[in-house]
Amino acid sequence: MASTLDNVSRTREQPANGSRSTGEPLLSVEHVRLGYWTPAGFNLAVGDVSFEVQRRERIIVIGPSGCGKSTLLKAIAGFISPAGGEISVAGRTAPPPGPDRAVVFQEFDQLFAWRTVLDNVAYPLRVNRRRRADATASARQFLELTGLGHAADRYPHQLSGGMKQRVAIARALALEPAILLMDEPFGSLDALTRARLQGELNAILDRTHTTLLFVTHSIDEALVLGDRVVVLGNAPSTVQELVDVRDVGAPDSAAYADMRRRLRRLLANKGEEVDENAVFV
Amino acid sequence: MQSSSSPAAATALSEPLRRPRVVGWGRLPAWLRFTLLLAALVGLWQAYVSLKDVNPLLFASPRAVAEAFVDGWRDGTIPRATWTTVKVLALGIGIGALVAAVLTVFATLTKIGDDLLVLLTSILNPLPGVAVLPLALLWFGLNTNALLFVIANATIWPIAINVTTGFRTVNPTIVAVGRNIGLSSRRLVTDVLAPAALPHTISGLKAAWAFGWRTIIAAELVFGVSGADGGLGFYINNAKLYLRIPQVFAGLVTIAILGVLFETVFGVLERRTVVRWGMKTVPATSGGGEG
Ligand SMILES: Nc1ncnc2c1ncn2[C@@H]1O[C@H](COP(=O)(O)OP(=O)(O)OP(=O)(O)O)[C@@H](O)[C@H]1O
Ligand SMILES: [Mg+2]
Repeated sequence: MASTLDNVSRTREQPANGSRSTGEPLLSVEHVRLGYWTPAGFNLAVGDVSFEVQRRERIIVIGPSGCGKSTLLKAIAGFISPAGGEISVAGRTAPPPGPDRAVVFQEFDQLFAWRTVLDNVAYPLRVNRRRRADATASARQFLELTGLGHAADRYPHQLSGGMKQRVAIARALALEPAILLMDEPFGSLDALTRARLQGELNAILDRTHTTLLFVTHSIDEALVLGDRVVVLGNAPSTVQELVDVRDVGAPDSAAYADMRRRLRRLLANKGEEVDENAVFV
Repeated sequence: MQSSSSPAAATALSEPLRRPRVVGWGRLPAWLRFTLLLAALVGLWQAYVSLKDVNPLLFASPRAVAEAFVDGWRDGTIPRATWTTVKVLALGIGIGALVAAVLTVFATLTKIGDDLLVLLTSILNPLPGVAVLPLALLWFGLNTNALLFVIANATIWPIAINVTTGFRTVNPTIVAVGRNIGLSSRRLVTDVLAPAALPHTISGLKAAWAFGWRTIIAAELVFGVSGADGGLGFYINNAKLYLRIPQVFAGLVTIAILGVLFETVFGVLERRTVVRWGMKTVPATSGGGEG
C-alpha cells in the first residue's frame, strides 16, 4: 500500500470485526476541550471528550447540530489546538496538519477552483512525491470509484454540490491516509448514491486497512459504516456514550432495530424515554 | 470554450429568449455590429466636416486624420512616441508592482504594516496621479524619472490594496486543504494563495493600468520629455503647437487603439484564467456569447 501506511505497525493485525484491542491506539483524544474566541469571549464547543481509536477501527461521531463535531475533527486534523486535554496520533502529541490524516471537509468549497477535477485529485499525490503518471492513473481510478470518471476534465464550478463532495472524497481516499477524517461527506447526496458510496467506502477501507473517523447526522449511516459510535451531547459537548455497533447485523435484523432505537433515544434526550415515532434523521 | 456540454446548455437556455427577435441587428455577429457602428460614426464625422465647412485649424476630417496617421507611422514619429510612452508606462507599473508586492507582504505579515497600507492607500489613492507631477519635477528634474515616480505612485495603491484584499479573503477551507495535503508554507503561497487571490490581482493590475495610462498621457501633455524622444502626450501637444490638427487627432486615435488593445489583452487573460475557473463571472456587456 501507500507510503503513508508503511509506518503503521502490522505486527498486531486486528481482525476486521475483532473486539477492542489493548495496544497503543492510532488516535487518542484525552479530556479535550475546544472552542473559539469570539468578541463575547471564549465560546466552548467541546467540553470534555475522550476516546481512543485503534488501527483499522471505524469510529462514527454523531451528535446534534452545533455540538462541536466539525470542531473536534478539525482539532484531530491539526487545525485547532485544544484549550485543554491532549490529542495524539500514532504516538505523536498534537501533530500539525498532514496527509496522514486526509480530511473531507463539510464545506463545499474545498476544491482548487483553478485545477480540473482530475488535477484536484492528482496534484496532492504529486505534492506527496508520487510520479506524475502514477498520480494521474491513481486519480483516474479513484474518480471512477466515486462515479466521476466522465467529469475528470471539468473545472469544479461546473459540478453540482454533491459532485464536488465526491471529488473531495476521491482526493482524500487517493492519499491513502493512515486515518481518514470525513465530516458529513455524504450529506448532500441522494439516497442511492449515498448507499453506493457507503458500500464503496467500506470496501476501500477493507482493502486498505484504513482507519476511519466519520462525522454524520444519520444513525443508519453510523450503523452501516461504524465499528463504534461516539455519541456527543449538546455544546459544550461531552461523550454521552460510546456504543459498539460491530455486531448489529443487517438493517432488517432485530439487533439492528434495537440499536437504532437506542441511538435515537441517546441523541434525542440523553437516554430519557422518547416518542418512538419522533422524526429524527 | 470548456466542456462539450455547455454550448448546448447555453443554446437551450437562450433559445426561448431569442425567438421573438426574428431578423435584425442582434442576429449579426458582434464584430460586424461594431464595425458598422464605427463606420457610421466616421461617416457622420466626415459629413459634418464636409457640410459645415469647419475651420481646418480647429477640426480635422477623417480623411486628413487617416493621412496623418499613416504618415506618422511611415516616418516613425508615431511608433517612436508610442514606444516611449509604453516603455515608461511599463517601467512605472513595474516599479509600482514591486513596491506594492513589498507592501503587501508587510501588510499580510504584520498588523502595523496592514494599518500603514490602509492609511497610505486612503490618502494617496484618491489623489489624481498628475497632482504629484509638480513635486516630482521639483525632486527629479525635467526627465523620465519624474514620470516614473508619478506612474509608480499612481499604480502602487490599486495593486497593493487589491492583492492584500485577495490574500485576506482567500477561503480558509481551501488553505486548510492545502495544509492537509502537506504543502510547505512556500508552496501554500505559490500554489494556493496566489491562484486563489488571482481575481483580485488582475483587478488591481487593471486599475493600475487604467490609472497609469491616464496619468502618463496627462503628464506628457504637461511637459514633453526632451524633444525627439517625447511620448504620445508630447506628440499631441507638439502637433498642437504647430497647428497640425490632423496629427493631434492621429495621436488621439493611437491612444484609443492602444487602450482597446490593452483592454483586450486583459480580457483574454481573464477568460483564460479566472473566468474559465468560475472565479469571476463573464461581464454581461460587449457582444454576449459570440466572442
Ligand atoms: N470559526 C468559528 N468561530 C466561532 N465559533 C465557531 C466557529 N466554528 C464553529 N463555531 C461554533 O462552535 C460550535 C460547534 O460548531 P461545529 O461546526 O463544530 O458544530 P457541528 O457539530 O459540526 O454542527 P453541524 O452538525 O451542524 O455541522 C457551534 O456553536 C458554532 O457556532
Ligand atoms: Mg459540522
